[in-house]
Amino acid sequence: MLKAMLRGLFAHKLRLILSALAIILGTAFMSAAFVSGDTISKGFTDLFSTINEDIDAQVTAKSDVPSLEGGGGEALVTKVVPQDVADKLKGLDGAESVTPQVVSDGARVIGKDGKVVASNGPPRLGGAWPANINEDPNLELRLGTGPTAPDQVVLSANLAKSAGVTVGDKVEIITLQPRRTFTVSGISGYKGGRDSLGGETFVYFTLPVAQELMLGTTGVYSNVDIKAAPGVSQETLKQRAQAVVGDGYTVRTGEETSQEQASGIQSFLSIFSTGLAVFGFLALFTGAFLIFNTFSMLIAQRTRELALYRSFGANRGQVLRSVLLESLLLGLAASIVGLLIGFGLGWLLTRLLRSTGFPGGALVISPWVVIGTLFAGTIITVLSALAPALRASRVAPIEAMRDAAKPDKPLRRLTTFGLILMAVGIALLILKGTKTLEDNVLTLGGGCLFIFIGAVMVAPALSRPITGTIGKLVDWATPGRLGVRNTGRNPRRTALTAAALMIGVTLATGAGVFASSVKAGLSDIFASELNADLILQTDFTAGPTAGFQPALMDQVRQIPGVSTAAALQTDGVKLANRDEFVVATDAKAAQTLFTLEPREGEIRELNSGEIILNDGFATKTGLKVGDTATMQTARGEAKDLKVIGILASSQVVTNPLISPADASGFRSPLAQQAYIKVTDPAQIEPVRTQLKTLVADNPEVSVSDPSAQIKQATTFLDLMLNVLNVLLGLTILVAVLGVINTLLLSVFERTRELGLLRAIGMNRSRMGWMITVEAVLISVFGALLGMVLGTALGITLVKIFGGNFLKLTIPWGYLIATLVLAVIAGLIAALLPAWRAARLNVLQAIAYE
Amino acid sequence: MTMTPAARAVEVWKVYGTGEAQVQALRGVSAEFERGKYTAIMGPSGSGKSTLMHCLAGLDTVNAGTVYIGETQVTGLGDAGLTKLRREKVGFIFQQFNLLPTLTAAENITLPLAIAGRQPDKAWYDTVILTVGLGDRLHHRPSELSGGQQQRVACARALVSRPEVIFADEPTGNLDSRSGTDVLNFLRDSVRQHGQTIVMVTHDPNAASYADRVVFLADGEIVDEILSPTADSVLDRMKKLDRNA
Repeated sequence: MLKAMLRGLFAHKLRLILSALAIILGTAFMSAAFVSGDTISKGFTDLFSTINEDIDAQVTAKSDVPSLEGGGGEALVTKVVPQDVADKLKGLDGAESVTPQVVSDGARVIGKDGKVVASNGPPRLGGAWPANINEDPNLELRLGTGPTAPDQVVLSANLAKSAGVTVGDKVEIITLQPRRTFTVSGISGYKGGRDSLGGETFVYFTLPVAQELMLGTTGVYSNVDIKAAPGVSQETLKQRAQAVVGDGYTVRTGEETSQEQASGIQSFLSIFSTGLAVFGFLALFTGAFLIFNTFSMLIAQRTRELALYRSFGANRGQVLRSVLLESLLLGLAASIVGLLIGFGLGWLLTRLLRSTGFPGGALVISPWVVIGTLFAGTIITVLSALAPALRASRVAPIEAMRDAAKPDKPLRRLTTFGLILMAVGIALLILKGTKTLEDNVLTLGGGCLFIFIGAVMVAPALSRPITGTIGKLVDWATPGRLGVRNTGRNPRRTALTAAALMIGVTLATGAGVFASSVKAGLSDIFASELNADLILQTDFTAGPTAGFQPALMDQVRQIPGVSTAAALQTDGVKLANRDEFVVATDAKAAQTLFTLEPREGEIRELNSGEIILNDGFATKTGLKVGDTATMQTARGEAKDLKVIGILASSQVVTNPLISPADASGFRSPLAQQAYIKVTDPAQIEPVRTQLKTLVADNPEVSVSDPSAQIKQATTFLDLMLNVLNVLLGLTILVAVLGVINTLLLSVFERTRELGLLRAIGMNRSRMGWMITVEAVLISVFGALLGMVLGTALGITLVKIFGGNFLKLTIPWGYLIATLVLAVIAGLIAALLPAWRAARLNVLQAIAYE
Repeated sequence: MTMTPAARAVEVWKVYGTGEAQVQALRGVSAEFERGKYTAIMGPSGSGKSTLMHCLAGLDTVNAGTVYIGETQVTGLGDAGLTKLRREKVGFIFQQFNLLPTLTAAENITLPLAIAGRQPDKAWYDTVILTVGLGDRLHHRPSELSGGQQQRVACARALVSRPEVIFADEPTGNLDSRSGTDVLNFLRDSVRQHGQTIVMVTHDPNAASYADRVVFLADGEIVDEILSPTADSVLDRMKKLDRNA
């Protein structure tokens, strides 16, 4: 009996393959994400343990100031180990060797094109060339010699390549000090042919030059590496070293050092693999709709067959089990295929990343990934098939004798239930909006999910009126009219097919509305509060040490036509025991440039030892005018600052302001930005030209203006939108599969009708047109639902997070593009079913039972 | 003056399968179907009567011989030509009614014109509608009509484009006898009153008795014909054919 029923399943191969594709896609993305993540992570772990093989303990100076990069492993060293501490470690009991090192972020090489060689995240390290390169366990000289004179450097192979220089060439390098010219004496690399560990670049100076340029003064080190004598454990060595250096220094074991180094790089990796995994889950979720729909259709079609089994004496359990078994087999098979494709994708990805400098060996396939992927793919398939399976088990034996075509069940119950779910979702969002309930996961996540699922349930009731209305556009010709009628024929099927598309469109539209509102809000702020005409901007990829001398402002103010100018030096500090960014600037000029108003106290030029707090920080800390706040900078000593004023709420200045005189302990002595106001608009272009000449020798600084700033500030939004668009593309792909599937079934079910239409004179192309209308209507319906829902959710989010920051804006162009995309998707989906319909043999089609 | 027949088969051969399994469905059949006449094609199962009709209507291809509808040679036409032929010159009535469930009765009736992009001739449309006698059920969907009503809608659909010939394949096969009689009367009236040409395949002697002429097929060949048949005379011939077979 089971065998007979399974044969029934495989009789619909094409349709099953189509719905399995969604599962394959989902599981493939999922497993690719995990496999490539694991592989690269293993690569890093291996790499760092090799590199740190000779380090059993490492001593660094402790810093109270928070790291700029969030993680623990900041590459920019601001607290140093002085010579005397290093010397004290020299005779450490149980140490085989003690090696003081100089390594820090912030060695920027200017390439052949006159621009600083860009980095998209990894640090640009500068340090001292090892005393004896032949004994170094990792580093090797590939070309030339090590640096022997103060004006010689060795570049890492990847850096030399990006900069376009080789041994003997002159190269300019910016460090803590302005640009200086060096001669490349050699090119280095890691043993085993590796250019870098994780994309970082390296400049090696002679020891005194490295100390001066990278750490600010000679006779200091960034860290001291200690190798244990045989028989001494890392932990013992750590404790002994700690006892020698005292509390002001951190001592880590070699293993801890490796973890520390790996953690920074891996946070980037996890973003990447999370993205892939989200793609995977989304494809699976969309796929669930497809599976549900396919099984519903297969069951409806096989009602007679199932009833026949029932009349032979098969019980409900047998029917239920056989359908579930079908789904289990399908889900498992699809997941296995998906898993294999995922391995392939993962391999490709690690290959791709390896070519950009990532480590990686053989593909790491953890059993958990295999089990997890197979389980997820299979369970989703089985769950999606559960409802249709239950329906199948309720087929009465008598239905074997009846005509298969039954009138559709009324939609009232489904619609009512859907509306209730939507109401619950809306209620949750209202609770959030009125701040009655603060839990984001419950209110926002739950609310959106309830509304979404409710909408899917209401969709069948909407499908006929909506597709009928859109259908008016194609109603003028018979094939169009027939296509429209066919779309309205089975509202559940149409709505479910459209729902697959709705998922992606809802997400993308919601985010689109939010993003365009943020953009519009930002533009408004810049327009109303920013009173500057020109901006000097440091390339933010140039790292925390890039910028220009604040003294440059003296020259800027000399330019005819400039009325006000202020340089901004921003750095992370510890202020009143909080991690905070502060801005060192001319507060008087800032008042004009950023239209600042005092809420309390006054705004005037700050003396050393004074601070003006922004509204938010004052509220958080409860500090008042006249109070004192202690500031700890990265390189300097703690200093008490007196609050002389508190700013009224501003969207541009959201950090405390201090005097440039108190910025001497910042990580970098340079300013990152300057805002300039001119006397009248006609002066903008002449001043711009003058500014460009002023910064011509500083490739990290460019002359910008507010509108360019807006663009810059919103690039991350565009990036986010791009990611969402890829997501949308993926779900559209799955949705197209669903439309193909549904239409193939419809063509199959309506064989006789199609035969009749041909018999009474409809030609092949019009028949195709009829099918196409149906496909396009389904996908446009899905897109419309998604757009309405997404826009509504986007508006809700804007209202909830609103404030002055967001200005509700609907991205019409984006919506129209989505609609056009839906039409194209429909057209593509129609191809196969239309071709099938057109190919029907008229005589056989009419005689078809 | 001699008029071209509405449909004509000349030495038509139709073979299915190859080798051992080969079946010769039509073996050199020649027949003419006069304009304005109601012809029934009869014969035992497997005699080739349906095949003959399918070949005449251009639904099936022939292995040898020629088929004409009016002046048009059907054999040799491509899909586009056949589509045009069906659209302009041929009407069909099927045993299974074959109405489109999404369209109302009235829309089903005008469907061939809509497909051809023609406007219905108002007077003729009204005549057809009147003869069909659906009255207020004209705007109902097929699922709300009885079998007899559905088949009358199908008849009206075949008539409305005034084809040169209507092919009816067992039109009463799925109907009770009263509904069947209605449909047969309707078909005969359309021949008598409006000069329509009808070719009907049936195995029911009573249905055949409504025709002007009955052609008998056996083993793929025309073996006999009767003019102005009655149910009894048809039944007689059928019995004889069975005996010979």
